[in-house]
Amino acid sequence: MLLLQGLVLGVLVGGMYALMASGLTLIFGVMRLINIAHAAIVIFASYLSWQLLAILGIDPLISIVILMVVFFIGGALLQAGVLSALVDKDLSLALLATLGVANVLEGSEGALWTSSFHAINTGYSDQVYQVGEIYVPLIRIITFAASVVLLVGLYVLLNHTDLGRAIRATTQNRGVAQLVGVNVNRITMIAFGIGIAVAAAAGPLMGMYYPFYPDSHWGWIGKLMAIVVLGGLGSFRGTLIAAVILGIAEQVTILYVPANWAAMVFFVFLFAVLIVRPQGFFGHVARESL
Amino acid sequence: MAFAWPLVAPVILVALPFNGLNGFLLDLFYFTFTYAAMSVGWNIIGGFTGYISLANLGFFGLGSYIAGLMLFHLGWPILLTAPLVGVICSLAAAGVGWIALRTKGPSFVIVTLAFTFIVQFLALNLKDITGGSAGLYLPLLIMDPILRGDLFYFYMLGVLALAVGVAIGIRRSRFGLGLIAIREDEGKAEGSGINTSLYKIIAFMISIWFAAVAGAVHAQYLNYVDPDLAFELIIMLNMIVMTLLGSRGTIWGPVLGAFILFPLQSYLVYWLPSTIAGEVHLALLGVVLVLVARFMPDGLLVTAQRLVARRPPPRLRPVPAVGGEPTRVMAGRDE
Repeated sequence: MLLLQGLVLGVLVGGMYALMASGLTLIFGVMRLINIAHAAIVIFASYLSWQLLAILGIDPLISIVILMVVFFIGGALLQAGVLSALVDKDLSLALLATLGVANVLEGSEGALWTSSFHAINTGYSDQVYQVGEIYVPLIRIITFAASVVLLVGLYVLLNHTDLGRAIRATTQNRGVAQLVGVNVNRITMIAFGIGIAVAAAAGPLMGMYYPFYPDSHWGWIGKLMAIVVLGGLGSFRGTLIAAVILGIAEQVTILYVPANWAAMVFFVFLFAVLIVRPQGFFGHVARESL
Repeated sequence: MAFAWPLVAPVILVALPFNGLNGFLLDLFYFTFTYAAMSVGWNIIGGFTGYISLANLGFFGLGSYIAGLMLFHLGWPILLTAPLVGVICSLAAAGVGWIALRTKGPSFVIVTLAFTFIVQFLALNLKDITGGSAGLYLPLLIMDPILRGDLFYFYMLGVLALAVGVAIGIRRSRFGLGLIAIREDEGKAEGSGINTSLYKIIAFMISIWFAAVAGAVHAQYLNYVDPDLAFELIIMLNMIVMTLLGSRGTIWGPVLGAFILFPLQSYLVYWLPSTIAGEVHLALLGVVLVLVARFMPDGLLVTAQRLVARRPPPRLRPVPAVGGEPTRVMAGRDE
């Protein structure tokens, strides 16, 4: 029964992991860039959502919409202003720039909100449902549901719109996409903005789920990297499956070992995948040098 | 101009402690040397070879702990064991590198970052060995405080000199040429007969040796090791920003970056209100990293050389490769 509890909680948290990691995958797809600032952006959105709740009383689920718009614009500007030029020149410079962004966010959060922990507490934060012998906090159901809604939205956008087709074409082969008339620079900017907006959407959800500190994004980016490597870098479907697998693995492990050790599950998977099957379980063998 | 200052500077630096340099300035130089040596080390993998390593911080901390534990349990003085600690960490780095470099592309940065997380996690959670978050208090190095300051000063000056010597040696060897070929076009480098995996792993091991030695010496300097200080993010960021600001892929760039940035940072942290000094420091270093990457990616040294020589920006010219077809190497980027 305990195991079933772990399984259920694993799927629920896996949904949120999938949401966070999908933005990372999208960005990697169009730019071949690992956005080291991805989790820092999630945490930054958590802080803003906390602030919106504290000052204006805006429910975190509503602040998702506001944050997505703001972060889409911010992300697109960052891409067009800084990263775009660097990716063309030298990918490692773009990577270092995202490292810089992560530190700017972490330092600013510490200066603005101190380095003690914050948590987003709403009126429904403490409710727990019981089904049979399984206890499920309401927050986890809400975050899972919101994550699924957003992921379905992203799926529809990518698979059933012209913009989505252009993004997928750019991901698969930039040169050919350009040949058939896709404005790849503009599409890359938009896709990056979407990736950042999705990270921002995960912020309020994460903040309702776990307490956060300015430097807690390092723990998260480690988890997200394990997920995208297990899923095969750039594979959207792989990311979703890997997120749920690792969510379950983590929640089941928590049942048997101290909670802080469960974070190691991600790294065990990361190293195991890289040794056994470096291209990930759903990735393709690289056809081009990245 | 063949840069006279690299010849003059060592003489001045050796003479300084004999001419009344002590206290705050001696410490300032010790830190600057430490950062410069680590940056020169980072540059061997991050600059020459073009692979971004985030493991140097993990090995700095691992070096601190290994050296600290050897002193704690066996009584082996750190200043003598530091080179050995470096070798141990380099061997560990070979293993990490082997896993990280099985695929080309971004897995190296992911694995090296994960490595740093794992070592820090273990330092925090293997409480029986490391003392957990309380850290380890090491036996003191009992000697006259001024002599003690001089000792650390000269020790790290020596490590820095060795780092620069190694970097010059690599840069002038076929091995160094191979690393640059990997940076410029790994596929072609491999095609021309370079064992790219081996080259990358050796470059990584050399790079790590300096981080681990610096970590070991620093543990003795503080007489203390804990998971926050040994894995302080700012250390990693500094290695990278100093290298990039000075000029990535050059011999003296990382040294120049360290000598500019460390004193500035000391002043900044001293000047800022202590409640937010750490946070603002981190954010500003991030801003510098983004700005340098965006607007001066070649770094001060290369940019200055170009201005002085009034040369056009570096262009690609073919140079004889290590066999096979010519490899394209950035002209004007080195020396």
